[in-house]
Amino acid sequence: MIAPANIRVKDIAQTDERTLAIQWTDGRADAFDVVALRRRCPCAQCVDEWTRERTLKPEAVPETVRPVRIDSVGSYALKIQFSDGHATGIYTFQMLRDLVAVH
Amino acid sequence: MGLFTGIKEKLTGAAAAAPAGLVTEAAVKAALANVIDPDLHKDIVSLGFLTKIEIQGDRVAVEVNLTTPACPVKEKLKAECETELLKIPGVAKADVTMTAVATRPAAATATPVTIPNLAGVKNILAVASGKGGVGKSTSAVNLAFALAQSGAKVGLLDADVYGPSIPRMVKITRPASMTGETTIVPPEADGVKVISSAMFSTGDRAQILRGPMAGNVAKQFLTNVQWGELDYLIIDYPPGTGDIQLTLSQTAPITGAVIVTTPQEVALIDVRKAMDMFKTLKVPVLGVIETMSYFVCDGCDKKHYIFREGGGERLARESGVTFLGGIPLDPTVPVGSDEGKPQVVALPASASAKAYAAAAGGLARQVSILNAQNDGALEQFTLTWKA
Repeated sequence: MIAPANIRVKDIAQTDERTLAIQWTDGRADAFDVVALRRRCPCAQCVDEWTRERTLKPEAVPETVRPVRIDSVGSYALKIQFSDGHATGIYTFQMLRDLVAVH
Repeated sequence: MGLFTGIKEKLTGAAAAAPAGLVTEAAVKAALANVIDPDLHKDIVSLGFLTKIEIQGDRVAVEVNLTTPACPVKEKLKAECETELLKIPGVAKADVTMTAVATRPAAATATPVTIPNLAGVKNILAVASGKGGVGKSTSAVNLAFALAQSGAKVGLLDADVYGPSIPRMVKITRPASMTGETTIVPPEADGVKVISSAMFSTGDRAQILRGPMAGNVAKQFLTNVQWGELDYLIIDYPPGTGDIQLTLSQTAPITGAVIVTTPQEVALIDVRKAMDMFKTLKVPVLGVIETMSYFVCDGCDKKHYIFREGGGERLARESGVTFLGGIPLDPTVPVGSDEGKPQVVALPASASAKAYAAAAGGLARQVSILNAQNDGALEQFTLTWKA
């Protein structure tokens, strides 16, 4: 039994042109729509740091946006570099697990 | 043992011993499958610890590779293996050799990215506290040297960029040097590789750096120092929860953290913040060490609890982490620190040194447990998206 705080990525892969699949070390598997991930970017440009209000308008993100590359950050998060040049969002494993899987 | 089982064993023993060379590898494995690692709750065969089996007539020699050189249950496991082997019908002599290579989380698929200078480092351990002045650096130094004394290869990174103190606490026998344009070769103190920003500044000049710069210096100690092969790299974190701590945790996969605190409540408040930071960064807290736990004066053997009693243990309990032990206040510790002699090296028989050695053993144990759980987790990786 792994403590929730210690759950990490076991496997990560692109499954189709806009789906990111992650298998976690506790056995759970999630699939994420990458356009939805871009719209949920948690960085300070997309979310007001004080009010936590989302400043990024969903319609400002085109359906054609895709990741360019995805890197691990320490052992707690992913950094996604998107095709629109946006690369500042750090998606923690916790946040990803809390998001409702898109597919 | 009941009468009948005794007879049965004698019978089967006699029967199997008759044709020579009947002791099989399968029998050895089956016997050793009865030896359970008390921490990992699995038998040593399915844990893959059994690395060599040699059978010659009625003699069996096995090699058992433990997950950590500092394994506190080594002798117990060795004795159990011998007992189990001698129970095999036909075995008259059992030779058990215990070896040790520290485990690291198994890497897999995707494209793992490693910092070349950290490729040989099996475990990176943060020693941290919420507050300054709790004896964090002293603890980091003594844990590092205690692990080294147990046979592990150890490095010590002083990430306290503003107030580096480690070079004073250990005796550096070789200065830091450079190889190539950007790679630092760390100096050593009694076989422990040490790096500190104090090595790159002159005398008592203060380090005046803005947060991001300080983080950069600490980051370079991870990326640009030739650490080589290490079982444990101990990082002495600066006190608090700021830029440096965040940068370190983002740069390298920190295996786990050790929290150092003094017993009283006012210290515990900040320690809880540090623990919360590690939780956010997904760095597992491996245990709590309490410093300045009590003082035994030379006039009586009574323990005087100067800063209240049991704070560290309470903190460990309420956060569900292991209490690695309390280190008594001992006037010889600061003397040794000022003279470059870690307590576990200078006065290994002292109560404080023994407490540090026990804490280091407990820490090594927690690291193996964690690595067994983390089996299969990706460390650092990159995924390139295909259009």
